[in-house]
Amino acid sequence: MGNKQTIFTPEQLDAYQVQNKLNELLFYRYRDLAPQLVPLDYTNKPNVTLPYELIGSMPELKDNPFRQRIAEVFSESGDGNMTLDDFLDMFSVLSEMAPRDLKAYYAFKIYDFNNDDYICKSDLEKTVNKLTRNELTPEEVNLACDKVIYEADLDNDGKLSLEDFQHMIIRAPDFLSTFHIRI
Amino acid sequence: MSKRERIKAIQKMPETMKRKREIRNSLSEYFYRLSFWHKTLKIIGGEFGTSVLSYFIFLKWLLNFNIFSFLINFGFITIPQFVTAEPNNLSFTGLELLTGAGYFQQTVLYYGFYTNATIRKVKNGASYNMQLAYIFTVGIYFVICLLILLFSMAKSFSRNFINPQTYSGNASKLLCTWDFNITNEKAVKLKQKNLSTQIKVENTGDSRRCKGTESACWSHSAKACALISFWHSDSSMIVRFPINLSLPGFGSWHTVPKHSGLLDLHHFSLPDVHAFVFSFHPLKCWETLIGQDIYRLVLVDFIFCLLGSFFGEFLRRIIGTTVCLSLGVPEFDIGRSVLDLIYAQTLTWIGILFSPLLPGIQMMSFFIVFYVKKVSLMRNCQPPRKAWRAAQMTTFFMFLLFFPSLSGVLSVIAVTVWRLKPSEGCGPFRGLPSIYAAISEWVKILENYVDSKWVAWIYNNLITSELFFFILSVVILVITYLYWQIIKGRRTMAKLLREQIINGAKDKMFLLEKLRMLQRIENPFTPRRQDQQVSPVAQIPLFQSCVHYSCVGFF
Repeated sequence: MGNKQTIFTPEQLDAYQVQNKLNELLFYRYRDLAPQLVPLDYTNKPNVTLPYELIGSMPELKDNPFRQRIAEVFSESGDGNMTLDDFLDMFSVLSEMAPRDLKAYYAFKIYDFNNDDYICKSDLEKTVNKLTRNELTPEEVNLACDKVIYEADLDNDGKLSLEDFQHMIIRAPDFLSTFHIRI
Repeated sequence: MSKRERIKAIQKMPETMKRKREIRNSLSEYFYRLSFWHKTLKIIGGEFGTSVLSYFIFLKWLLNFNIFSFLINFGFITIPQFVTAEPNNLSFTGLELLTGAGYFQQTVLYYGFYTNATIRKVKNGASYNMQLAYIFTVGIYFVICLLILLFSMAKSFSRNFINPQTYSGNASKLLCTWDFNITNEKAVKLKQKNLSTQIKVENTGDSRRCKGTESACWSHSAKACALISFWHSDSSMIVRFPINLSLPGFGSWHTVPKHSGLLDLHHFSLPDVHAFVFSFHPLKCWETLIGQDIYRLVLVDFIFCLLGSFFGEFLRRIIGTTVCLSLGVPEFDIGRSVLDLIYAQTLTWIGILFSPLLPGIQMMSFFIVFYVKKVSLMRNCQPPRKAWRAAQMTTFFMFLLFFPSLSGVLSVIAVTVWRLKPSEGCGPFRGLPSIYAAISEWVKILENYVDSKWVAWIYNNLITSELFFFILSVVILVITYLYWQIIKGRRTMAKLLREQIINGAKDKMFLLEKLRMLQRIENPFTPRRQDQQVSPVAQIPLFQSCVHYSCVGFF
């Protein structure tokens, strides 16, 4: 592994807060994914992006049915390739300390497959299929999605906006503990 | 700067440095706190999900609590006693570990061993009044417990409260239920299978019926939750606390009607402490005898917990996989396990006055229980099939810990301290008419010193005066009433806002329709649907109202 000490300039401390022990841990997890790509020395602000395949192979994510969407939502470019900043953001939001609104916002973005700021019926169908491993028939999926929209859609436009989603989250107190990944 | 110096400078960075993202910083504190057993909890959460994990987190919380109790009691009561310890003439046979009697009677384990003198190591040096230390340590410890529990309960309640009146539909179940904690491939597949089964069941229309059963469950539990009966008998003041808890078949969101059976936990009855006390009362050193009994109860509870794990999980798995294949592998019984923990903690609280080292014993027992349960879980259990509302059940268990557990214990301790005469021959309060008399006598002594007259004044006019507590109660009631009115107002507000959203949506649809019609007027050559052939002239009066609305702006 070589020298375990990382070197950051004082300006970068503000951005990365390396004195923070958890961020150091996350940095090493990030680096472990591809030691040859990620330098130990971040003083030159290297522009390092790890491809999605490496991120998706992490033990915390590899069996999660939504791993692709999670990576896409948190990556800057939207294609699942993450920089260190994206990586730190991802685990911050998915930690226990993140407030409910922040988690709800990102959960909404994860379930919004077509990125149109609404969870429409096709998004819901994809979600249900991912949740059930494609075991349901199309009619059952359709029925389930109709029920969701009927219950949650307050402004009756046939799709869920962020406000609808947040309103739904309020009724599910377990959300804070289930939308959480331990690192 | 050289590399090494830069690293040193980084490590010495002050904590007050400006931080952009606060979450990452609070993460570090959380990480330090949780780093003990962090990996174990992660593995458990990864394979069994958040619900089973909540039990282990509760156990860890109780363990930390007991460590704190032990440190306080050991530090303030036991360590000074070691200084003036009398030699122990009894011999140690192994049986004492089980019975608590014999050799242990003359050790710091029990109340009877503690001196009532003022300990002085050096003549005319600093003194340590054992009587005051004992009663103040126990008193302040219980006050701290009360505050910690109240704050935990309030925090948990505010995070996890959902208004039971709002229809808790199945939509949230679908989108918010996926447990991101689960990292084990088999567990993920199992959960997906369970979800698809649940969706199939709901699609057949059972969901409406299940909601009714569920609310029946909760109302029943609210009624039958804690039956505390106590009565006073004339002068002897026997206070009896049998507690029968009937808990609903907790967890399932789609409780099929027959599944809403009540879990009757008869074994959850607080020991009849004051019956003990009264029967021991005329005996010599009755406090030590109570301490011994509680020690035995703690030991028996610990053994039963281990046996329960052995029979309930290990043997059940053997039976389920070899003899009777229809039973299958057992699931971890979260409810019963948590109630065992609450019972054990209650025993510790009762026993603290009589046996100050009890939190230390309980600490070790929780430690062992954690590992035993973890190993048993990994080897013998499967992930839960039905949903378990972890957040709400955690709040409920915190509440159980507070009431009837802590409040019951506080009442028992209060009666012991105020009414019962301590034994003559042993303990720090020998010779006094009641344990509380130590404080009243101390205050009388303080009155003679000019410097501490204010303490005596506070004691006489605030703590022992009924008027003060009356005023305090009135103030608390007024504040509670104010908050209640605020909540009522907010509920009405929420209802009105919800209606406003719905109306806004209707307005939006209306205006969009009008806009479309407007566009057709302006551009009559765009293809129109056959059933909407309207003459452009008729639309003109509406044009004015549309412009007006669009100026106002729509949702």
